[in-house]
Amino acid sequence: MKGRYATAVLLLAVLVADPARGAQAPTRAVTESQVHEVAAELRCVVCQNLSVADSPSEMARQMRAIVRERLEAGESPARVIQYFVDRYGEWILLSPRRSGFTLLVWLAPLAAVAIGFAIVSTLVWRWTRRPASASTPPRVDPAMRERIRRETETEP
Amino acid sequence: MIPELGYGAAIVALALALWGAVTAALGARTGRPALLLSAQHAAVGVFVLVTACFALLTYAFLTFDFSVRYVATNTNLGTPFYYRITGVWGALEGSIILWAWMLALYTVIVILRHRVSARAFYPWVLTVMLGVLAFFLLVMTVAAPPFARSSPVPADGRGLNPLLEDTGMITHPVALYLGFTGLTVPFAFALAALITGRVGDAWITLTRRWTIVAWYFLSLGLLIGGWWSYHVLGWGGYWAWDPVENAAFMPWLTATAFLHSVMIQERRRMLKLWNLSLVILTFGLTLFGTFLTRSGVIASVHAFTQGAIGAFFLSFLALVLLTGLGLLAWRWDALHAQGALDSIVSRESAFLLNNVLLVAVTFTVFFGTVFPLLSEVARGVKVSVGAPFFNQVNVPLFLALIFLMGVGPLIAWRRASLDNLRRNFLAPVLVGVVAAAGFFALGVRSAIAVLTLALTVFVAATIAVDFARATRARLRVGERLFPAMRGLLLRHNRRYGGFVVHLGILIIAVGVTGSQAWSVQTETTLRRGESAELAGYRVRFEDLTASEESNHFKVAGAFTVSNGRVLGVLRPAKKFYPQEQSPIAYVDYRLGLNEDIYLVLGDFARDGSQATVKLLVNRLVSWIWIGGLVLTLGALLAILPERRKGA
Repeated sequence: MKGRYATAVLLLAVLVADPARGAQAPTRAVTESQVHEVAAELRCVVCQNLSVADSPSEMARQMRAIVRERLEAGESPARVIQYFVDRYGEWILLSPRRSGFTLLVWLAPLAAVAIGFAIVSTLVWRWTRRPASASTPPRVDPAMRERIRRETETEP
Repeated sequence: MIPELGYGAAIVALALALWGAVTAALGARTGRPALLLSAQHAAVGVFVLVTACFALLTYAFLTFDFSVRYVATNTNLGTPFYYRITGVWGALEGSIILWAWMLALYTVIVILRHRVSARAFYPWVLTVMLGVLAFFLLVMTVAAPPFARSSPVPADGRGLNPLLEDTGMITHPVALYLGFTGLTVPFAFALAALITGRVGDAWITLTRRWTIVAWYFLSLGLLIGGWWSYHVLGWGGYWAWDPVENAAFMPWLTATAFLHSVMIQERRRMLKLWNLSLVILTFGLTLFGTFLTRSGVIASVHAFTQGAIGAFFLSFLALVLLTGLGLLAWRWDALHAQGALDSIVSRESAFLLNNVLLVAVTFTVFFGTVFPLLSEVARGVKVSVGAPFFNQVNVPLFLALIFLMGVGPLIAWRRASLDNLRRNFLAPVLVGVVAAAGFFALGVRSAIAVLTLALTVFVAATIAVDFARATRARLRVGERLFPAMRGLLLRHNRRYGGFVVHLGILIIAVGVTGSQAWSVQTETTLRRGESAELAGYRVRFEDLTASEESNHFKVAGAFTVSNGRVLGVLRPAKKFYPQEQSPIAYVDYRLGLNEDIYLVLGDFARDGSQATVKLLVNRLVSWIWIGGLVLTLGALLAILPERRKGA
């Protein structure tokens, strides 16, 4: 098992190191969903806002064919994507890289959730401490209060 | 003559709207009824004039008046009758007229309904609504005049964007615009509340139903947009996180947040500041959405034009936000009230969390949508932010929201006792866990799919528990089953309308999960008589036919679809329009509850001997449309006047 894994890594390393050889290497079986997965990350260059996987355009069809060819030649998905980035620039990536400037777009939502959560928990914490100290509970006899509680809880 | 009439009507309408806005404000300050009456008359006048503009433009479309530039660019002699009518709002100028017309209509309805019932707010509401209307009329007369002449007058027009030749053209924009413009009403009431200093609950009680009406139309518009995308754009999907889809989604999210947080204010007299802010933000987002759609700053299916219009909307947006913030600051003392909660485990907390999540999703969508602009401005590098990003970031937030959807409505106000939690949630949680195990046993391996489906079952179970318990209580006092259920729905229509909306969302969630997780597709080139197979379907290429339609040339393939027995012949096509460089795909499909088979025609040999076809089997997509239907029914139920008192 371990041996097979090592061979695969070695083979991959060779292929990655020498793309020209990769093209001649015996073709690998590549499924439709593997192609789809890579193509879904790429922007169709002639469409408004569709991925290469989804676009019905001729251009996207050709790009899918290139994806398939390169995967069959043994390239890793990451490398196939890099091939397109080299030609079209970062713009072709539908999800921006998680590094450098574009890391910002990934961090912003996390920050938003964190800040929102922090604000609400601070408020809830403050507000739950108030009624005990600030407002004195109205004088209602316990039986009445129990009845109100029961009714507000069971009210549909 | 017609264009001059239309142009004149727009200018007079603008003057009247400004007059009305000013006199209503003066009427509010001086309390003189004559001023208010004058403003009212002005508003009715605006409505009549905008209606006239709309009618005149429609007439120009129907009579092929190519001397009007807008008509010439959006229709031609081959455009069928139906699309000559819908073409009126097929591009920027006409859609602004439609917008202004709806806004004027809402203004008239507000006058009829609230003249007496909301006397304290009413003059300022009128001022704000007429002010917003004046802005749109200004756009109509200066930035995007629909009646501008074309010279020389062309013999034939350019024609409508072929993608807009669909029956959805009447429902999708109309519903969406009714939603967008409808959100002006709560905004106007919020500003009126701030100006008059009556920031209590009165304005909320008055506008809650208005917000649901706008929310209902906005939901409908979004759903029909999804359906349109699915059956017209030919890529097999219903939501692409396109900038303009996002633009319509953002106000929907904040309006949803408002509809929930409003309940805390009604119950506990808290969150006044927050609710006002949400309403102002929601209205701001509708303007921002229009700015995105119409300015062409971001490339999209919907971006019709470029030019001065962007600056107009951006300035108005800035004005609205500054006014809103200024008023909030001015009324700070009245708004800045400390809240008081009894316990962290309460419905209040659940709703607060719901608001945090909805606003976080809004922010994510906003930031992702404008990020490409930011990147280009900041470092001159073009980047894309597309579906894979939005899905990855938002799905966890959506799942948390679905979870809260189960918790919120059943957890007790103020303080949830252990007993309350056990009584309401023990059974649903167990059902959810069993469902998760069941889905896993059935072979669902995607963690997200298992989680979503299990959460969906959990929430559905909470709704069932609640409804069953309430029904049983009614049976105990001697009602029969169906009258009891009907009575519940009608007397507590707000609560159960909400539940039905939740059910709709759950069904949509199942559809989205299924279509993401289990849809399959393939693409092959077939010779005549050859077949391709996918997921148990066999698709045989029969032949290719070409035909001349009124305004385009159409090449259609015939494919027999079978799964053991013949299901029928599907005819996907390519349409060639003279005004378009590339052909438009025309998909054909067979919808089913569990799966749709969906064909897109690709390349073909000119002699018809072979054709490339993209074959998709999309799973559970129909659930999205069914869920949409359920959701809108729930919203309708919630809009009904409450009958609780009479019971």
